[in-house]
Amino acid sequence: METEQLAYYPFVSEASAYVESLGVSLDSLLNSRAYRAARARGIERVKEALEGEIGKSSLNGEAQILSELLSYPFARMLVACIDDQLFTRRYALAEAKAAYTLLRTESPDFLLDFGEDFGISAEPRETHFSMHFTDYIRFSNSLKDPAWKLTNRQLRAGKVRVTREEFARLLQEAVRERIEQSFPIPEIPEEVSAFCAPHAAGIKEQFEVQKKKFGATDFGVVEPGLFPPCISHALANVQGGVNLAHSMRFAMTSFLLNVGMSVDEILNLFNVSPDFDAEKTLYQIEHIAGATGNEYKPPACETMRTYGNCVGKDGLCEKISHPLGYYERRVFLKNRDREKEEEKEEEKEKAGEKKNGEARKKGEGKVKEEGKEERKEEKSGKSPEKAE
Amino acid sequence: MGYTIIKKLAETKQTPKNSPNSETMDKRTIRFLKSRFQQYYKTAEISLPDHLPNREWAFILFDDLEDKIMRRHKSFGSPGEALDYLYGMAPAHVYNSTAYYEYPNAKKMNEKNWHGAELIFDLDADHLPDAPRNYAEMLENVKKETFKLMDFILDDFGFTENDIELVFSGGRGYHIHIPHPKVLTLGGSERREIVNYVSGRDLDFKYFFRDVAMDGEYGTGSKAFKGMKNVPTKCMLLGHDSGWGKRIARYLADYLKSESGKKYKKYMFPELRRHEKVGSTTVNKLLRIANSENGLNDILEHGRLDFDVRNFKEIASYFMQESSENFLQRFGASVDEPVTADTKRLIRVPGSLHGGSGMQVKKLALSELESFEPLRDTVVFGEKPVKVNVSKPFTVQLKGKDLRVEEGIQEVPEYAAVYLMCRGVAEYGYRRDQPNPL
Repeated sequence: METEQLAYYPFVSEASAYVESLGVSLDSLLNSRAYRAARARGIERVKEALEGEIGKSSLNGEAQILSELLSYPFARMLVACIDDQLFTRRYALAEAKAAYTLLRTESPDFLLDFGEDFGISAEPRETHFSMHFTDYIRFSNSLKDPAWKLTNRQLRAGKVRVTREEFARLLQEAVRERIEQSFPIPEIPEEVSAFCAPHAAGIKEQFEVQKKKFGATDFGVVEPGLFPPCISHALANVQGGVNLAHSMRFAMTSFLLNVGMSVDEILNLFNVSPDFDAEKTLYQIEHIAGATGNEYKPPACETMRTYGNCVGKDGLCEKISHPLGYYERRVFLKNRDREKEEEKEEEKEKAGEKKNGEARKKGEGKVKEEGKEERKEEKSGKSPEKAE
Repeated sequence: MGYTIIKKLAETKQTPKNSPNSETMDKRTIRFLKSRFQQYYKTAEISLPDHLPNREWAFILFDDLEDKIMRRHKSFGSPGEALDYLYGMAPAHVYNSTAYYEYPNAKKMNEKNWHGAELIFDLDADHLPDAPRNYAEMLENVKKETFKLMDFILDDFGFTENDIELVFSGGRGYHIHIPHPKVLTLGGSERREIVNYVSGRDLDFKYFFRDVAMDGEYGTGSKAFKGMKNVPTKCMLLGHDSGWGKRIARYLADYLKSESGKKYKKYMFPELRRHEKVGSTTVNKLLRIANSENGLNDILEHGRLDFDVRNFKEIASYFMQESSENFLQRFGASVDEPVTADTKRLIRVPGSLHGGSGMQVKKLALSELESFEPLRDTVVFGEKPVKVNVSKPFTVQLKGKDLRVEEGIQEVPEYAAVYLMCRGVAEYGYRRDQPNPL
């Protein structure tokens, strides 16, 4: 690859080898004025990742290429200092998306070379690529569209047929996985964390705000009405005194713990049958809750399906891959609807206010809330109603 | 060596339902079985796995059957060590890991440092849809399933016979091991995708039927085909000669053939007639194709569905979707999904004995599968008469003979004695507190 291309795809092995060969010391990357642009671009990368996609503009001259190239290791150090698994994933996804945007325009030969760096052996055919099915599933696995299912592919003697565009899309997954797995960086030097700390703090704060909106960690009040069908079904069974399969009991219990129910509350749920053994049940729930130092997450949809625990799949199930994701989404939608309702109420009020000019303060508070909501709205493709 | 209560292991399924009725197995029965197994292991050819020092081994000893204890986290540095252990302990059940570990004998799974695992398929009579009447029939069903799976493994996945190891499990089915470098580091969800593939789950037929331009890579060079003139597109079956496409082609061709062979036209293609766009005109056209010289061959060999039937893509897709249950039963392979998806599975060692049947866990060449008869070919014990006390009447075919025993004390050949005791329907000799009737 040309150095310009290395700068566009700084996560390929050749790029890291090249950066190493430059012999730029950590100290100078952090402090030298020569690398100020690289540091600025590194910070920009991470900030852009927070927004969703990292922009890549054309590079003019060696200086720009060098800055772009060095901005990547700098960005990685910053991400490592932010030290948040969710954020690391977000960053990896943003880098991978940016790579895909560029990869789509590359030549077949380039794509094949690029693939080789990720251990993907593919062969060019007249109109498509042919790749080994094990390489294919390694990267198609995270893609939800049924068109990616191996079953719906043409498979012959171990080779899957993919278009050039599809191949580029698989490479995006490969890039994402590589970047994700390159973290955490072991033993970040003191000077690096000291240098990154102020930037990291700011980004982390913004990310926390985003996370709260997405309800990624805290579900608030438990709302059984919003549980996915599999869990509702299991709950109904338990309440009806029906014995659950081991795997389902585990799935349900870990789900309930994860959405914030207490051990006692769950214990009460099970307390319906005459032969209820409180002590044994308590032991099991506490075990799942992490009494032995191992906190369990409920199994993903795939696993639920494997054990025959996926019951009553509905439309939303198509869009999620984890029972917690289902709940998260429903909670989010409900909150959004409620906010909309409240806005409508307010607008009505305001219509009245124009006449009597009151209750202005309350309205302003609401606008801020709405500002937060905006980004999510973009995601779901609808434009939010503004309060003002 | 670690002790684990068997119940807690995902492994439980593999201590089959036909495992010894351990709670009542008396000491003398245990001693007898142990000595027979020991005699076997003295000279047995055990098929030790590749990278032996990186495998975890696990055992259930006859003496531990009652307490359901599995001894695991064991490893052997050399073949001699493994064989010595088998001979010395004469275990009822012998397993090793499908995974390769840096520290196979570490007590905690995450301390073992996983390096990869064979891809395995477990075909088990328990998982097949039709409940058979007896053991022999059950084994026959699972063999058919194995053939279906082999087609996927060889044809679709492109593995060769040298890449795979086919093993009769000693119980109700077959294991297929694939220690190919390309599969070793696949994770659980990728392996699940492979199971989905062979079962045909998530198959959506719309991806297989396409309207394509008449000329181009499939080009027939003809603008008139089967009465069609100057039509720019035609319906094709994609990938008709491999993978699921191949199976769809066969299914469609067979359907056309069998329907057109019916005596009365009004009974033909009832499934298709349910589609709103299918009337007698369409039926007549389909009939003509089914009866023409090349009609069916065009489907099978060229994926051509460009009959002069409007919307054939839609009709074919509808038909396949409607018939999918029947289609998947014919072509899909039912394998035990959790076994394949588990990258740290323990699996029976080829050459060892299955303590629930006394039969051999036997490695087979693919060419041997057709004529393989588990109840004849995996019985390793001899004819010497052994006195047993049978607790309930029992019938089984062994070594090609129908064996029927009634309740009570009797003499049977050693191979049958071992089988009955392992199945838990007989005890060795007779109880001391009972008079010897012989």
